Amino acid sequence: MTAVLLALTACSGGSGSTSTSPVTPAPGQETSLSEAAKLGELIFKDGSLSASGTQSCASCHDPAAAHAPNNNLAAQFGGANGDVQGFRAAPSLRYLNQTPAFFFAADGTPTGGFDRDGRAASLAIQGERPFLAPHEMANASKQDVVDKLKKTAYVERFRTQFGAGILDDAEQAFNRMTLALQAYQKESPEFHPFDSKYDLFLAGKVKLSDQELRGLALFNDPAKGNCIACHPSARGTDGASPLFTDFTYDNLGVPRNFKLKANANPAYFDLGLCGPDRTDLLDRNDLCGAFKVPTLRNVATRQAFFHNGAFDNLTSVVSFYVRRDTNPEEWYPIGADGNVQKFNDLPQQYRKNVNVSEVPYNRHPGMAPALSPGEIDDVVKFLGTLTDGYKLNP
Amino acid sequence: MKKNLIASAVAATLLAAPFAASAGEAELLARIDKMAAEQEQLKAELKASLQKTAVIEQKQQELASAAAPAIAAATTPAPSAAIAASGPTTIIGGYGEINYNRPSKNASAAQTDVRRAVIGIEHRFDDKTKLVSEFEWEHAIASATDSGESAIEQLYVERQFGNGLRGKAGLFLIPAGLLNTNHEPTAYYGVERNFVETAIIPSTWREAGVGLSGDTDSGLAWDAGITTGFDLGKWDAASSDGRESPLGAIHQEGQLAKSRDLSVHGALNWRGVPGLLLGGSLFSGKVGHKTEGYTANDARVTMYDLHARYTPGLWDLAGVYARGQISNTAALNLTLVGNPTPVPKAFAGWYLQAAYQAYKADDYVLSPFVRYEQYNTAKSYEALPQGLGVAPQADEKVTTVGANLKVGEGVVLKADYQKFKEDKTRDRLNLGVGFSY
Repeated sequence: MTAVLLALTACSGGSGSTSTSPVTPAPGQETSLSEAAKLGELIFKDGSLSASGTQSCASCHDPAAAHAPNNNLAAQFGGANGDVQGFRAAPSLRYLNQTPAFFFAADGTPTGGFDRDGRAASLAIQGERPFLAPHEMANASKQDVVDKLKKTAYVERFRTQFGAGILDDAEQAFNRMTLALQAYQKESPEFHPFDSKYDLFLAGKVKLSDQELRGLALFNDPAKGNCIACHPSARGTDGASPLFTDFTYDNLGVPRNFKLKANANPAYFDLGLCGPDRTDLLDRNDLCGAFKVPTLRNVATRQAFFHNGAFDNLTSVVSFYVRRDTNPEEWYPIGADGNVQKFNDLPQQYRKNVNVSEVPYNRHPGMAPALSPGEIDDVVKFLGTLTDGYKLNP
Repeated sequence: MKKNLIASAVAATLLAAPFAASAGEAELLARIDKMAAEQEQLKAELKASLQKTAVIEQKQQELASAAAPAIAAATTPAPSAAIAASGPTTIIGGYGEINYNRPSKNASAAQTDVRRAVIGIEHRFDDKTKLVSEFEWEHAIASATDSGESAIEQLYVERQFGNGLRGKAGLFLIPAGLLNTNHEPTAYYGVERNFVETAIIPSTWREAGVGLSGDTDSGLAWDAGITTGFDLGKWDAASSDGRESPLGAIHQEGQLAKSRDLSVHGALNWRGVPGLLLGGSLFSGKVGHKTEGYTANDARVTMYDLHARYTPGLWDLAGVYARGQISNTAALNLTLVGNPTPVPKAFAGWYLQAAYQAYKADDYVLSPFVRYEQYNTAKSYEALPQGLGVAPQADEKVTTVGANLKVGEGVVLKADYQKFKEDKTRDRLNLGVGFSY
């Protein structure tokens, strides 16, 4: 009967139960898509809708790579000639259907939203930018996109679905295109199959190996990995499958990635919530450097990690989490003064925003990392169970 | 005169039974216990008398129908004719408590809380049918941004049948332990409710369903029912809720309660000797609710208790043993490895309590008491692979010493000190004021 206060967990207050109702069709079961969603799939995979004539959504969100890039580039290239580098590592589009629009929780925790800075309120809005961004599909305007749509084989189906005159109004037609993309991502089970080994384990249908189990224990242990502080691993109290994100934001102080051309400019800093891409929180200095906590589902299939793609393998990523503060020299360059330039991808005044209070960051040089190398391997092994498409008795 | 005596006793007993949950007070309960036994004797005499004269038999029928309006204090002589003649009645009752806790090793954590305020409305439709409801606010303010709760604690209808049985349907209290069905602050010693009957028996524990109750001539009262149960899907291994109270963490409280699996309960309470109450209860039900893809669909909660209360003279002695089990949780706990709070296999506790009415003047009654309890919310876990399990907890042992100062029949001032053997940071001084009417 005692009122239960939600214990605030990591990520400056992400609360525990974050999963909502799952869409969990049986593996292999093809759910029939609405016509809008079918059109969305055609648009998603249509390279003719780009300036280069070859780049589609699927180019950077490859279905075969869990709807994420299939390479280890820090950021993907786009533009009319495919030679313009982007600014951030493209995220996976899997398991975004339950992401809420951006909001500040009652305790002030920024939560939800699409894109790494949460500035898009929906999948449809998120789908607008790639068509027009110079470093992506690089169309000159919405009219330009719609003109390309008119030349597609499925344009009549688009008209039938959205109205005979829909193409006469570029704004409206473009809007319907992004709504179709959203419908596809929401309806198609390929974006949220919940068929990883871990899902089957939760259902009692398969056992994890000893090493995977150890990795799960370290992942969950609040004194070791404490990963669940931002990446909940348990079913929600409503029975929903875990999404491995609490939709919050965190400032990890990821090293500057000089493979990003934008970073050649010493004055350029990608500060996530407080800009420059996002513009409504520019004056929230306390949020500078915070990026959205991504799902960890399919993380083992990625080849570029964090918003700036600073890492290209998962073992390094997990090592970074636990050794960032005990062995900063492993991650950051040495400055002219001989000191480690910790958190060097943030202007000096925002480095205090980096999360240094929670496990496993709450350490300093001389202390033992929260995980040993063997334990890091265990966690990486466990993360491998989060990859979609696990086959029983393969 | 004898008839009056019989009438008073029977009426008092009949009045006491339906109102027991709100009448409160330790002394009152003790007196009721004594009177219950006396009533058995009187009943026997009454039976004999009935066989002799038709007049007395008629009188007895009037008395039987006098079970209805239960507003007068149990000790108040109630003219049977008046009660029998009464129609529908609505009675408003209530209780509440405001508590102050001061941890002795961390005074900055001292806290004052309007722990609960409860309004009870009992409506008697006729002499056999009534509605019992209890509406509660906890922690002063309940809103989206506050910590308080607003809850319906009881909401059921009860019907008396011709054969002396009572049936009820709705949201009602599970008859476990001594405190759950008598949880008003005037009914127990100490500022805070004891740990055994909050951490192990999740008072105030209520479920929605149907129940049947009856009494035998030998002073044995029984309860049985089929109700909603717990929902193990609510278990949050990352939080400490399950460590504070395993069943409190997964209770449903009649709120959109999963009901694929229902639970059964039964309780026996014997009052055959004046001043003595001996009883026990059992509650059992599955808690997985056939949730798709859930590994603990065969998990079952079983909770039982044994309790005794004896009130010789100025003494008030009580003891409770309670034990709960959650079976078939190994596979579920395997999915929760590393978390601080896996699902326990067993949790249990007991206490012994002695209170003595040391001082009485006017309507002030001072009763010092001492209570010793041991409890453990995680006595054991089902086996997990080597190195992945959580060690069972040690039994916490709590000694509480204090006093209740009753003012009249409905107000109590309390003070006590609690000493914890395991987690000494919890040692604390408690002060409280409570009421019940």
